[in-house]
Amino acid sequence: MTNQEIVMLNPKIFSPLWKRSPIKIVVFLIIFSYLIFSIKYFNISITELINDLNKMKPILISMITWNDFLSWNFNSILVGILQTLAMAFLGTVAASVISVPLGLIASRQVIKINLFRFIIRRFLDFIRGVDILIWALIFVRAFGLGPLSGVLAIFVADTGTLSKLYSEAADNSDNKQIEGLVSSGSTKLSTIRFGLLPQVMPIFISQSLYFFESNSRSAVILGIVGAGGIGLQLSERMKAQYWDQAFFIIIIILIMVAIIDKLSRFLREKLIND
Amino acid sequence: MMNEIILNSHNKNLIKKKRFWNTSLIVLLLIGIVLSSKIIDTNISDLFNGITRLGDYISKILPSLELNNLFLGSKDQGSIAYWYFNISKYLKLLFETFNMALLATMTGSILALFLSFLAAKNTSPNSLLFFSIRRMLEFFRGVPEIIFAILFVWVLGIGPLAGIIAITIHTTGSLGKLFSEVYENSNNRPIEALKASGGNWLSEMKFGLLPQVLPNLISYALLRFEINIRASTILGFVGAGGIGQELYLVINFNYYEEVSAIILLIILTVISIDLLSGHIRKNIIGFDND
Amino acid sequence: MKPLKIKNLKKKFKDTLAINGVNLEIEEGKITGIIGRSGSGKSTLLRMINRLIEPSEGTIEFNDIIITEIKGKALRKWRSECAMIFQQFNLVDRLDVLTNVLIGSLGRSYSFLNLFGYFSKEEKINALRNLNRFELTEKSLQRAGTLSGGQQQRVAIARALMQKPKILLADEPISSLDPKNSKRVMDDMLKINREDGITIICNLHSLEIAKKYCDRLIGLSEGKVVFDGKPKELTTNISKKLYDLDDE
Repeated sequence: MTNQEIVMLNPKIFSPLWKRSPIKIVVFLIIFSYLIFSIKYFNISITELINDLNKMKPILISMITWNDFLSWNFNSILVGILQTLAMAFLGTVAASVISVPLGLIASRQVIKINLFRFIIRRFLDFIRGVDILIWALIFVRAFGLGPLSGVLAIFVADTGTLSKLYSEAADNSDNKQIEGLVSSGSTKLSTIRFGLLPQVMPIFISQSLYFFESNSRSAVILGIVGAGGIGLQLSERMKAQYWDQAFFIIIIILIMVAIIDKLSRFLREKLIND
Repeated sequence: MMNEIILNSHNKNLIKKKRFWNTSLIVLLLIGIVLSSKIIDTNISDLFNGITRLGDYISKILPSLELNNLFLGSKDQGSIAYWYFNISKYLKLLFETFNMALLATMTGSILALFLSFLAAKNTSPNSLLFFSIRRMLEFFRGVPEIIFAILFVWVLGIGPLAGIIAITIHTTGSLGKLFSEVYENSNNRPIEALKASGGNWLSEMKFGLLPQVLPNLISYALLRFEINIRASTILGFVGAGGIGQELYLVINFNYYEEVSAIILLIILTVISIDLLSGHIRKNIIGFDND
Repeated sequence: MKPLKIKNLKKKFKDTLAINGVNLEIEEGKITGIIGRSGSGKSTLLRMINRLIEPSEGTIEFNDIIITEIKGKALRKWRSECAMIFQQFNLVDRLDVLTNVLIGSLGRSYSFLNLFGYFSKEEKINALRNLNRFELTEKSLQRAGTLSGGQQQRVAIARALMQKPKILLADEPISSLDPKNSKRVMDDMLKINREDGITIICNLHSLEIAKKYCDRLIGLSEGKVVFDGKPKELTTNISKKLYDLDDE
């Protein structure tokens, strides 16, 4: 067969790219023009950026040269870490406690009225839409600086998410156990207590543990707006340009988070297996 | 008979074990509560007070809308326009916030794409490279973006660029790790075929790996975009651009009604982006990592 | 041209010897079948020829080049001359058939533009010509994953031909196919052997097919060559031993 005959077997293959896969070209053009647009929009000058980033060098160097290491105030760092953990713990416990009733009434298994459930769920969505740091700032403004504001911020932000997860867990629970209790004439409350709660409790606890884990991470930053904990120590040192101490604290935070991760994973596995 | 006894004692053991777990859990919880309260020097009544006072605050920030005046101009108290007299400024900042998140997600995804090949066990060409890139990505992912933002505000000055770089770095870390996990779970056979035909590493990645994982990667990037929209609303707290700057100001100056106006806008933006991106993930890409 | 020479080849996985001192000369232009039960080391041997698996000891030589010692560019060149097809076809399911075939050219002539999905008209014509030989042209723009197993394996052969190979290694090419498709794939391999003079080394599980298509059979057991000869020399006795049927 000649080349011409081969081409004629499937001429489409040899047509130009924009004819063969126009979508690819369009997507590429959109991305490309967006990048051009954003460089203009944010007034980014690449040379200036590189220049500015060169200023990073001394900062990076001072991050890793710990000259007066022994004179650092380790006590305040330790207190900061403990505060952060305490904030995360109390916030998660408080949110879990209130999320049990909230989650249950937002569940199909408990209340059959759709409109009511809809309103509660939208309200929870609303709470979830506000970032935890915004809550923290509001509480700091309303009650002053300190870890209590952090605890409350975690409490409110988590209530939004935990209640939703709890209600979904309750939705997915096994109907037979509940029906069994209903058919034997038990009251609504005792149906929930003996039919639903035992099923969902391990899931609730495991989810709360998971949230404690993620809260110990988010509690780290709450100090930046004044809501206590290690974040306060960190941002103070960054503002004062103690980059060496700041970097040290970041490492401590990473280690803390890794330990909590491992611990909570271990406990959750234990919980589910039992 | 014998069996029954064994079964019974087994059951008893189970119940005992369960009780042991339950009690120790409760004891642990109580110890934790007491200890934590001590550490942050607070107690349950403070907590309760706080929650009730939150109610006060919320009632303060709620707008005083009047049904009759709802649709009047921005000079008439009780109208929506009065509540949102600053809407053009908000929208401008919101647009900036959106663009910060989008640009940072794009650049972060592209960086993550390049680094992730080096950070996956089965695709990394070199074990030293694998180890060092992995550690770097873990660091990028472990440090919250707002910490990077503080650093870059210091280096680049106040403005959205600091925020963009902060989100980009964090995104590179998170997506880089997720991407490399996707590769590790991918089908190795097409890559093997490319290797066997004498293809180089780059063509192994481009033709053997990418086609099978691309939908998954795009889905993860979209999910990250949703997260980044949230993040970019708060980076303004430390001067890194976006609507957070304005929110920080109105909260600190107690411009109560403006607080609710901005927060409502943020929530609407976050929810609509979530819905849109969720729709794209499910229906267009046909992949949902949720 | 000189034959492919395998000298004292050994491969150790942890504490088992998968290949235990194999010496072979495989002449050009023939179909050589490697038979033996699973775990006998067939696949390991084939993969060592292509260097997908590194040998622990011994050498492989071709055209005065010691294959087992080359690296980088030279290794990629060898791999492109020594094509391979697999039991599971190893196509990229989400790419179209044409691109799957075009991929075969990457080892032989790679350009930076390929990474953006560009292939020259010449290579496209090559690819279509190869697909046409196996009557697959009308499937060119379909996703490879939508094809039947037999079609996928023939696409894989077309891909292998794109490498313009001297040798084709086939690792259990028909083990996941039904009898009808198996015959078709074997016929196609026979065709490229007779028409293009490509040397074929083929791992086969089925003795019947091996006897029908191969010019020479090599029996492996526990990593050692226990039979080497023409198909008609393979007696029932030897094949029973090969497949360990004595114990049953």
